[in-house]
Amino acid sequence: MSTITISHLRKDYGGVAAVDDLTLEVPDSTVFGLLGPNGAGKTTTFKCMLGLARATAGDVRYDGQALRPESFERIAYVPERSTLYDNFTVNEHIEMTRRAFRAFEPARARTLLEQFGVDSRKRVRALSKGMKTAVMVALAFSRQAEMLVLDEPTGGLDPVNQRHVLSLMISEAAKGHSIIFSSHQIGQVERAAERIAILQHGRLILEGLVDDLKADRKIVEGIAPVGGFSLDGITSDSRVARCDRTERVVRLLVIDGAPEFAQRLAQAGATGIRVLDMNLEDIFLYAVSPADATTAVVAQELAP
Amino acid sequence: MNYIEWLRVRNCLRTTAIVLVVFVALAGILRISLSRYMSPQQWAQHIGAEPGTTKTQITLPDGTKRTILDNPNERTHIVIDDRGRAGTHITLTEPSSHEHKNAENVQIGGIHVNESRHGDLSTTTIDTHGAVPMLYFMAIADVVALIIATMLAAPFAREIDGHLEIAFTKPVSRVRYALGVLAADVAGIWVACALAVIACYICELFFGTYRVDFSGINSRAILMGLVMPAAWYALLCAATTWFSRAYGAVLGFAWPVAIVVGVLAVVQASTPLGLMVHDVGWVLSRLDPLTYVKFAGPDANDAMAYMGADFARRFGIEILLFVVYAGLALVRWERVEA
Repeated sequence: MSTITISHLRKDYGGVAAVDDLTLEVPDSTVFGLLGPNGAGKTTTFKCMLGLARATAGDVRYDGQALRPESFERIAYVPERSTLYDNFTVNEHIEMTRRAFRAFEPARARTLLEQFGVDSRKRVRALSKGMKTAVMVALAFSRQAEMLVLDEPTGGLDPVNQRHVLSLMISEAAKGHSIIFSSHQIGQVERAAERIAILQHGRLILEGLVDDLKADRKIVEGIAPVGGFSLDGITSDSRVARCDRTERVVRLLVIDGAPEFAQRLAQAGATGIRVLDMNLEDIFLYAVSPADATTAVVAQELAP
Repeated sequence: MNYIEWLRVRNCLRTTAIVLVVFVALAGILRISLSRYMSPQQWAQHIGAEPGTTKTQITLPDGTKRTILDNPNERTHIVIDDRGRAGTHITLTEPSSHEHKNAENVQIGGIHVNESRHGDLSTTTIDTHGAVPMLYFMAIADVVALIIATMLAAPFAREIDGHLEIAFTKPVSRVRYALGVLAADVAGIWVACALAVIACYICELFFGTYRVDFSGINSRAILMGLVMPAAWYALLCAATTWFSRAYGAVLGFAWPVAIVVGVLAVVQASTPLGLMVHDVGWVLSRLDPLTYVKFAGPDANDAMAYMGADFARRFGIEILLFVVYAGLALVRWERVEA
């Protein structure tokens, strides 16, 4: 078991909530992707999870246990930016980690660094941004940690090494470990994560299994007739999450019942109707862009 | 002991060692340059060359090479005992002049000079086999230790400046982590102190005796010399932890501020404003570990004694300051957020 449970987490900075009532669970054997635009509260969430920042309210538990210093034998963290010591060599960082963590395997760290193409004799200040990320990843993945918290673990890495990091995450999950990570590269999240959560303004706006989210959400697209047509009864349906229009192309983001909406759109006079699958990027973009206002405006514009 | 902090300490000590080696090398060069002036044989040869001087050389049963120089015209009589590694003992008898004092006993490092007057003759004995008081070494070593203490005195501020994610995700409590850091730094300061003492001792070997006096006031000097830099370090450590964003400025201004406060505390003023400034300086100086170091002061018999008569009180205050300042740093460290 290596489950991470976040309950009603809140973190205020100067009266502004960076994270607001966040509740999540990262089950064991799972790669969990945390998505959100810049400033959504992903890094703050990680910091609160690890006690680096004090939560204003809420609770984080690791296998039901509150975070204690000893918990870090089981938890590994890769921060968003390099926190390595510029004046020391990579080998000295390996030694530092060896002294700090009982389960750390220096040989594995060296192997990983070799795979990432990092010369461990170099001082950190001589490394590129991507290499620094690689060092942090290598150290984290050599600790046999049961829970990994990775904040943009592929930042600055080239595509080959990005793929390598994703493989490492999937391998760790296969061992029964929990991984929660954030990334702005949604393709990577889609490739590695089984579950995702999307944060916006510190609040959880969407969460679930990637496959379920993709299966449930479809785009129904059609071409409106010249002179407009009525979408009455369609946009007001609770299953329509969004309604967008580009020129005469109308797109409905529907949750469940895509064939039914395709039929209703055809009945309203639309032509060229297609039902499209959504990828994770579509789901993310629809989730974080201002939906309510757009839906209302588009509906009004389309009215005869 | 914290490994990363020890690496910082190690780098600092490496620099210290290089500087000290340079000083020792310079001392060696100086010693070689002065060798013709420091050799008893050279003196004897020089004095023996004066008209009317008779020179006698014998070897005593203990191996001492004795040179006797006698000049009846000048009324001078010199006995030079060269004991090799055991030093040189010189007795010089000559007519008194206004430069001679009735009795004087001077010690400079390992060289003891005793002067006494008997009627119109003065006798001066020079013994180069005296033990060097350890406090001489400690006075120099403390300067080195204070410099190192200042260099190391922002451990937590450096962690706050971009490394908290490493520091706070280790399986140790923040307090334990901090104690490891403090231990590494204090050990580093003391090692620097020891290196400086060793360097001083090597220099002393170049010029004189190999004997060092650890007794009495010298042992006090060692104790104070170890505690005072640690207290100074703790003061700066607390200041840099609380003002971590400006830790460079704190370290940069520490010495000037300490000096100004020290001066204000001792300078007497006559105007009301001057008195007030003096009082403020005096109060502030009580918080400064440097205030409690006294190289010399009157003892109970009104004789000058290193470290002063109230050594125990001042030593206790230094320890107290170390504990208080280290505690303040820990309090802040406990509350830091990444």
